[in-house]
Amino acid sequence: MLYRWTRDLHLYFGLFISPFLLLFAASVFFLNHAKIVPDKWLSVETFQNVQIPEAIERAQGKDAIGCAQAILEQVRITGEIGFTRFVKQTRHFVFPVSKPGVETTVDVDIDARAATVSRRPTSIWEAFGYLHKMPGPHNVAIRGNWLGTRVWRWFADATIYLTLFITISGIYLWWALKAERRIGLVLLSAGIVTFVALIYVVIR
Amino acid sequence: MSSSAKPRPNAGTALFEKWNRKLHFYLGLYFLFFLWLFSLTGLLLNHGQWPISMAANARKETRYERPIDLPAGATDLDRVRDLMRQLNLRGEIDLPAVQQEPGRLTFGVSRPSDASQVRVDLNTRLASIQHFDNSALATFRIFHTFSGSRYNQPASQRDWVATSMWVIAMDALAAGLIAMVLGSYYMWWRLKPKRQLGFIILAAGYAACAWFFMGLG
Repeated sequence: MLYRWTRDLHLYFGLFISPFLLLFAASVFFLNHAKIVPDKWLSVETFQNVQIPEAIERAQGKDAIGCAQAILEQVRITGEIGFTRFVKQTRHFVFPVSKPGVETTVDVDIDARAATVSRRPTSIWEAFGYLHKMPGPHNVAIRGNWLGTRVWRWFADATIYLTLFITISGIYLWWALKAERRIGLVLLSAGIVTFVALIYVVIR
Repeated sequence: MSSSAKPRPNAGTALFEKWNRKLHFYLGLYFLFFLWLFSLTGLLLNHGQWPISMAANARKETRYERPIDLPAGATDLDRVRDLMRQLNLRGEIDLPAVQQEPGRLTFGVSRPSDASQVRVDLNTRLASIQHFDNSALATFRIFHTFSGSRYNQPASQRDWVATSMWVIAMDALAAGLIAMVLGSYYMWWRLKPKRQLGFIILAAGYAACAWFFMGLG
């Protein structure tokens, strides 16, 4: 009974997360080996008469994200705001916005009430890489300022928890195959030795 | 599952099925600890607000100065390698994207366990080192991203053999995972009673994944 349930859950959970596993695995090759030039904007558009939120010059953290979101609505852009920056000398409010498939920079001239939007479409591989890295460890206080990122975080977490379940249930299912125990133990040991040796080489 | 559930395969198919099944758990067992490392560190990276993640951010900083001999070499990278040998530093080299100031050499050296920022005054032959020792938890977490290369910084490249070895391990894990997933599709498809429910679940997984590209993109 336990074996049958474990085998079925191993199968069905595995099938559900398999596209996510393929995404995370395939994007490893992009993240480890690809090179792109990130500042080649394909389109630049200027929006006039932009309503500037109050106190945008002094806004910090989540307040600054709120100001950026108010501007995003006016220039009809959605995505995760990476950070915000107010340039005192030029009185410009600048922030990058990203989502799978496109990277955008919004540069708001506060006095002219104009927003310049520069866009760069990304390849599917870069979109894979983007999702692999989201939400990530940076700017924790403001990360998840877009619904898409919050939903993706949930799926990314689910993929991890189910992967952990699948590995543990996989050990149980393997151990039930008596004829495969010896070779399995050899491979498990070889994996542990490789793992420990590599860690040692990198940190010694 | 009963043997009547699937059609009897020919010898070639039977051999493929036998080894596809074996490969599935052989790869799983070999890569088990790598998979656990990347899964657990993935959680830490995605949840910077967790107390355990914040604890990992703490690192010990020390500053010191060392006299050096003028570094030998035709390029900045060669000179940095010579300086690292003199200063007994190991790790992945990070050279600034901008031109070095005349009479100065500035670089970073990092590995999961520690990192150093080095500023060398070639006229006074003095190196100022700002060294950071990472906690065990931070070291563990950094392994997830330790590739020595940033895809959006074309000038960055791997220059330490240990990083290259770790990247090979990352690539091998990724290739192994892809092989396991594709092999598992075949094993599932051969289980006729599981096809219908399996198909619904697989389609739900692909639909959810595709939504992040088409729905959000």
